[in-house]
Amino acid sequence: MLVQSLSGPLSISLALPLAQGALVAPLAILVLCIVAGVGTYLLLPGDQPVKFRQIGGVLITLSLIVIGLLALRNAEGGPMAATGVYFWIFSIVAIAAAFRVITHPRPVYAALYFVLTVFATGGLFVLLQADFLAAALILIYAGAILITYMFVIMLAAQASSPDGGTVSKGLAKYDITSREPVMAACAGFALMGVLLMVIFDKATTITPMPAPIENGVVAPADMQNRPTEALGDYLFRHQLINVELAGLILTLSMVGAIVIARRRIHVTLAPAWDVVEEVAPPSTPINDDPHSIPVVGTTNPSQKAYPEK
Amino acid sequence: MTETQLQFYLAVGAIMFSIGLIGFIVRRNLIVMFLCTELMIQGCAINLIAFSRYHANLAGQAFVMFALVIAAAEASLALGLVILLFREKNTLDADAWREMRG
Repeated sequence: MLVQSLSGPLSISLALPLAQGALVAPLAILVLCIVAGVGTYLLLPGDQPVKFRQIGGVLITLSLIVIGLLALRNAEGGPMAATGVYFWIFSIVAIAAAFRVITHPRPVYAALYFVLTVFATGGLFVLLQADFLAAALILIYAGAILITYMFVIMLAAQASSPDGGTVSKGLAKYDITSREPVMAACAGFALMGVLLMVIFDKATTITPMPAPIENGVVAPADMQNRPTEALGDYLFRHQLINVELAGLILTLSMVGAIVIARRRIHVTLAPAWDVVEEVAPPSTPINDDPHSIPVVGTTNPSQKAYPEK
Repeated sequence: MTETQLQFYLAVGAIMFSIGLIGFIVRRNLIVMFLCTELMIQGCAINLIAFSRYHANLAGQAFVMFALVIAAAEASLALGLVILLFREKNTLDADAWREMRG
């Protein structure tokens, strides 16, 4: 398949397997998305009883399992030949943890579940032979970004006052209520249904690219055996300016974050009653000596703001 | 990598993107809203890397690298803004800024 997509036009490789039919029928995707949407609505933060939450979790789990099994049943070459067992482990962990990120009322736990999602996504990247990006993802997200999030969460949780609507068990009111849960579940699962339908069913109707782009193409053996070297080669041979721009953006954002988040200190100086400020109008130079140019605000030319002598 | 495998990876990316979208709409905590945007970025990253593997083209991986850079820059700026907003109202509730709607 790789060699095919490298050598010939993409239409050949795109047209071959999908002619046999869709992986999952559109009706099944529709029904499962509705079921999972109801489950998500029950699971979102709110004042539902615990039993409803359990029902919601069961509904989501069931719909995900059913859609996975449906896709596997129609996959070519048998269930486990299509994707390895590691793909299923990583993707199930990633999706389950992502659901917990949006449903857990405590922000710290949501951030920790997000770390779990990051690790599972890193596993998927390794399966896709993007070793460097898996390492970078875990280092940057789980190591840097999430630590910053945790600091801010704890800073805010420590400083939040009881009059901010703290209800019970130290949870703030805005953490245990949802904003428009019905509309959000409808919109999100409509999007998910359409995306899955396009991916599983309508991929044949998308016009394929006329020809593969030469820039960035690597030999399949290189991608298998030395993916990190190939990526570095590509980055510093073809994307050098973009790499430099990425560094510039990081520096700019660091400076911007410092400027935005600094605490403004208002220094109130003692009123200078005894200093009589005498403002002189700007005038023309007296002679050719550059040090004789008058300075705005004072009549003495030697009190220039910039020492030139 | 076959077409079927590509479809499975794309489906995982689509599901993660949708979950992030729902979370961004639903949650009222500013920090969790930004966590949900990171979820959406990861869904896109899975898509890009799956296509990169499918076409044996490293441009997709380079895209994900720059997306990581943007995510890091966004996280630092967003958390700076969150701290600024928190100092104003002493709460992380996004609805506290309700009067800003146009």
